Amino acid sequence: MAFEQPACRVCEFALVSRLFCFSCNALQPFPLEVDFFEVLGFPISFEIKSAELEERYQQLSLELHPDFYGSAPEAEKRLSETATAVLNTAYNTLREPTSRAGYLLHLLAQKQKLDERSLPDGFLGEMFFLQEALDELLESGNADELSGMRDEMRKRQKDIEADYAPLFKRLKDHPEDSEILQQLQTHLNAERYLRRLLGRIPA
Amino acid sequence: MAYSEKVIDHYSEPRNVGSFDKSAANVGTGLVGAPECGDVMKLQIQVDPETKEIVDAKFKTFGCGSAIASSSLATEWVKGKSIDEAMSIQNTEIVEELSLPPVKIHCSVLAEDAIKAAIADYKSRNED
Repeated sequence: MAFEQPACRVCEFALVSRLFCFSCNALQPFPLEVDFFEVLGFPISFEIKSAELEERYQQLSLELHPDFYGSAPEAEKRLSETATAVLNTAYNTLREPTSRAGYLLHLLAQKQKLDERSLPDGFLGEMFFLQEALDELLESGNADELSGMRDEMRKRQKDIEADYAPLFKRLKDHPEDSEILQQLQTHLNAERYLRRLLGRIPA
Repeated sequence: MAYSEKVIDHYSEPRNVGSFDKSAANVGTGLVGAPECGDVMKLQIQVDPETKEIVDAKFKTFGCGSAIASSSLATEWVKGKSIDEAMSIQNTEIVEELSLPPVKIHCSVLAEDAIKAAIADYKSRNED
């Protein structure tokens, strides 16, 4: 990994973010398939401190801001615009644990054939049952039961979320373990059904 | 993104919403889901045991307008078909009929899967 550390095209200083050199303030041309961890300058890992991510994002979005490149050559101007767009996408993907887990799984599972629709046993039937129950609750307008259901579903979401870190940790020791990868996929799938259900419960 | 007129028609007046007793011998139930968006779809067929013709169909879908329209259309299409004919319904036909945009193609896939799952369920419980 250390040998691949990209360097600034101007001052050859080792780059933290693939988009910008904090040493000489030069915008960096970046490859189309740049990964979002590289964009924000974090190692490819699920564990990211949200305060650090936030700070890095603020810093970069200020440095890359197209307003500062208004009188720059056309190519620089365009580079600042595309870099800003990529930065925003990267930040929005990594800041939230579920989408970060989904993105990281996508990066790590590229060579593996995962069952992309996997769910825990009986889960789909349960979701259908809960959706129907929710229909009835919405019709009767029982606020207590609705908030009870919301709390229950949020708790299940949190439980899934809490599993990401230990699963990715195990994956670090066994990078090719398709069982762990598949388990992550199942978690991510289940989370999306819970989210869909929660989306129907008024706040 | 605007829904096509046919999607709006099926969405605002879905055909054949409801359910059959899933334990009845002449009923096949397909329950499928789309992990891309969390949609859940149940499609049921009622089969004439003599002719193997689908005499009635019901569905219930929790999902977007396109998913509801796709399953509503699917129930209309399977009615009157033999289970073998219904098995050959392709999602691309649903896409064409409802003018679904590329981002909604998975809704039509879901409906095709639901038909196939319902038929498979019927067959598994009526093997001679």
